[in-house]
Amino acid sequence: MNPTHSPGHCRPHEHLSRRALLKGALATTAGATVANWGGIFNTQAVAAEAAKRGKRCILLWMNGGASQLDTFDMKPGRPTGGPFREIKTKLPGYRMCEYLPKMAQQVDKLGIIRSMRTQSPDHPDGIYHMHTCYKQSERMPHPELGAMVAKYLGKADADLPSFVRMGPTGNAGAGYLGPRHAPFDLGRTGALPSFTSPYLPAANESRRSDLWRFMEAEHRKERGAEPFESHRVAKERAWRLLRAKSLFDTSKDWPAHEALYGATDFGRGCFLARKLVEAGVPFVEVGQDNYDSHADNFVCHKANLQVLDPAWSGLLTDLERTGQLSDTLVVWMGEVGRTPQINNRAGRDHFIRGWTIVLAGGGIRGGVVYGATDADGRDVAEKPVSEGDLFATIYTALGVDPRAKHYVGTRPIWATPEGSKPIKELLA
Amino acid sequence: MNADPEATPKGLSPKFEKAVLLWSLPWDADWITAVSFVGPRHVAAGNNRGDILLWALPEKPEPAPAPEGKAPPAADMGMRPLHAAIAPARQLVGHTNVIARLVCAADRWLISASYDHTLRYWDLQAPTGANTRVVLNARAIDEISRNRNSGRKVPAPNEAQVLTQPSAKSIEGREWVTSMGLSHDQSALITGDDAGNVTLYNRTTGVESRRWQVKGWAQAVALAPDQKQAFASERYPLVFDSGRHTGAKLWDATAGTAQHDLAPQFKGVQIAAAAYSADGKVLAVGRGGEADGNNGKVTLLDPAAGKTIRELTPGHQYGITDLCFHPDKIHLATAGRDTLVRLWNFQTGQLVKELGKPRGGQFKDWICAIAFSPDGGHLAAADMAGWVHLWRLSG
Repeated sequence: MNPTHSPGHCRPHEHLSRRALLKGALATTAGATVANWGGIFNTQAVAAEAAKRGKRCILLWMNGGASQLDTFDMKPGRPTGGPFREIKTKLPGYRMCEYLPKMAQQVDKLGIIRSMRTQSPDHPDGIYHMHTCYKQSERMPHPELGAMVAKYLGKADADLPSFVRMGPTGNAGAGYLGPRHAPFDLGRTGALPSFTSPYLPAANESRRSDLWRFMEAEHRKERGAEPFESHRVAKERAWRLLRAKSLFDTSKDWPAHEALYGATDFGRGCFLARKLVEAGVPFVEVGQDNYDSHADNFVCHKANLQVLDPAWSGLLTDLERTGQLSDTLVVWMGEVGRTPQINNRAGRDHFIRGWTIVLAGGGIRGGVVYGATDADGRDVAEKPVSEGDLFATIYTALGVDPRAKHYVGTRPIWATPEGSKPIKELLA
Repeated sequence: MNADPEATPKGLSPKFEKAVLLWSLPWDADWITAVSFVGPRHVAAGNNRGDILLWALPEKPEPAPAPEGKAPPAADMGMRPLHAAIAPARQLVGHTNVIARLVCAADRWLISASYDHTLRYWDLQAPTGANTRVVLNARAIDEISRNRNSGRKVPAPNEAQVLTQPSAKSIEGREWVTSMGLSHDQSALITGDDAGNVTLYNRTTGVESRRWQVKGWAQAVALAPDQKQAFASERYPLVFDSGRHTGAKLWDATAGTAQHDLAPQFKGVQIAAAAYSADGKVLAVGRGGEADGNNGKVTLLDPAAGKTIRELTPGHQYGITDLCFHPDKIHLATAGRDTLVRLWNFQTGQLVKELGKPRGGQFKDWICAIAFSPDGGHLAAADMAGWVHLWRLSG
């Protein structure tokens, strides 16, 4: 038994006291109390600077955990190899899966990390960890990558949300950054939520919102507390979003792009992501189900890769064609890798001792394969990369300080855990 | 259905209830995925790596040695083999990926379908090539060598000298060839692949005679005895995505056009195995895939009408992997991920005999493939654990 910890009690470093929270609340000039969502004094200037650079990020989330051995870190001829075969790529000497033929022609754009060694082996904790770079077991609610990017690269006065996601994606939300940076969730195919359809005629809706604004203004004169302000801001953002609603409608331009991205939900999601970043949304996450192939791994991956390959390569092609690739970081990852050992359900289980994540586009040096696993893929052989290192690399590529400090109460929290280092070899 | 005593070939009177396990042949290099008899005295098996071995069954086999210490792995099947294991005689070389199916024609030609996108023909009367050595317990040696902390002793290699033989003919396909069947008169082959092709070949020449496309991947195929009809199941095994697809159809094999869409009967179901009875009046299809849980049932269909005749229950837990009709025209064998082989009277729907037993643990070591000998006296089963089991059915 751990002598410093008794069941049912918090560890000191996990404990956030009520007093600390109260200390962290700010007194405004109007006398209102404002929760210190992420320490606005410390980071506003940093955010403004980063936003000026116009960087954006698209996260392609492989829900359930894609197999590194059946994609980018193949082990042909080994007992762990499986039935997929390698094909040549644009990068001399580097081979990858036969079911990613279009991506094989885009390898010069990719930074492939084959040496991820992570800490959270299951889905909820892995999804949280790989979206926040912090363990789920910590009491502090950390923000997802998307929320952090929204904070630093989003524009407060934009009609569009700064963090959009669709399909199976993250589970952490905006955490300590607060609801302003919370994700805006779309349906699997990019469909807007039903609440975005007004139930009143436009003229009535306009009169109604004018009346609401007047009442809010009167109310604010007497009671200027943060929850009311937060609600007002959310309403205003929702109205602004309605002005830009047509951007989410892909029905007219999708037919012309279907061949490029593939006629799939995920392909269409990738196309919408491209449209959204072009329109100024700094972070879009698109999830693809389901790679959790404890049984029948190979048919599962074969089907999924045939969806992924045109969608991902189409996205990179389209970003390049529209001149956005140099400013748009595209991240391909899931919460875990998959075991080298093929189990007796013809499946591969969760694996965190040596797996693969791929970066491309903005801020990334293409054509780089970083790290390696051993002959059977059972462990990292060279250059292990942690969750923190990965996020430090992503933040650096996006122009966000990976050691940006935020406060929750009086407690300082950094964008990445202490000791996290960006991978210089992957940065352009 | 009524049994027709006249329909049973003379000399075929299997007594399934007295089935005896004769041999458990070890080949623990990888999963053994396909099996076929070659005439009455030879059996061939293919594995996940694309290797094929051929065993000659001796007329006067040695008795099995008494077990030492722990029971041998074959005891997991619920019985010990009667005879001592025999060494393989040949290795058929050429494939580079999973052997999905093996069939035999004219007691001479072995035909293999593989994930390496090819079909290959092997003439077993042709001269063989050089000698080579195969290690029949290579996987166990590798696993124990890697896990030094397990406390298990690394076994000595179980080696065998075999004659190698290249294929006589190779037919290039387009994707993983996952299923293959032979017409009852052995004049035609049918294959299904993951590019969605259902292809018919002249078995003798290997020339393609007709091909058509299904939606998704072709999973299980079968050709009717008169070669006028074919069955093909199809799938695209995405999860949650709107592109997910399963289906099953009866096709006019002379025109490549659909006759009956069986989707209403098999909504969301993956059909993993299919075969026509010798008279063409019954089509047996087996539900596969782990997701279906206990519902790995066999459905007997009237192929002319596309209607269900009956279901055979209980199903194989976690799905069926293979099925085949016995030459007596009365019985059907099925195998599944539950490590069982079941023998059915398909005319009455009665379960006649169960061979093996669930080996414990979840989804432990499927039976991947089964085959009857041409005279119906023997049944072979190939499994993931690296064994080919051979039963005598005639008591």
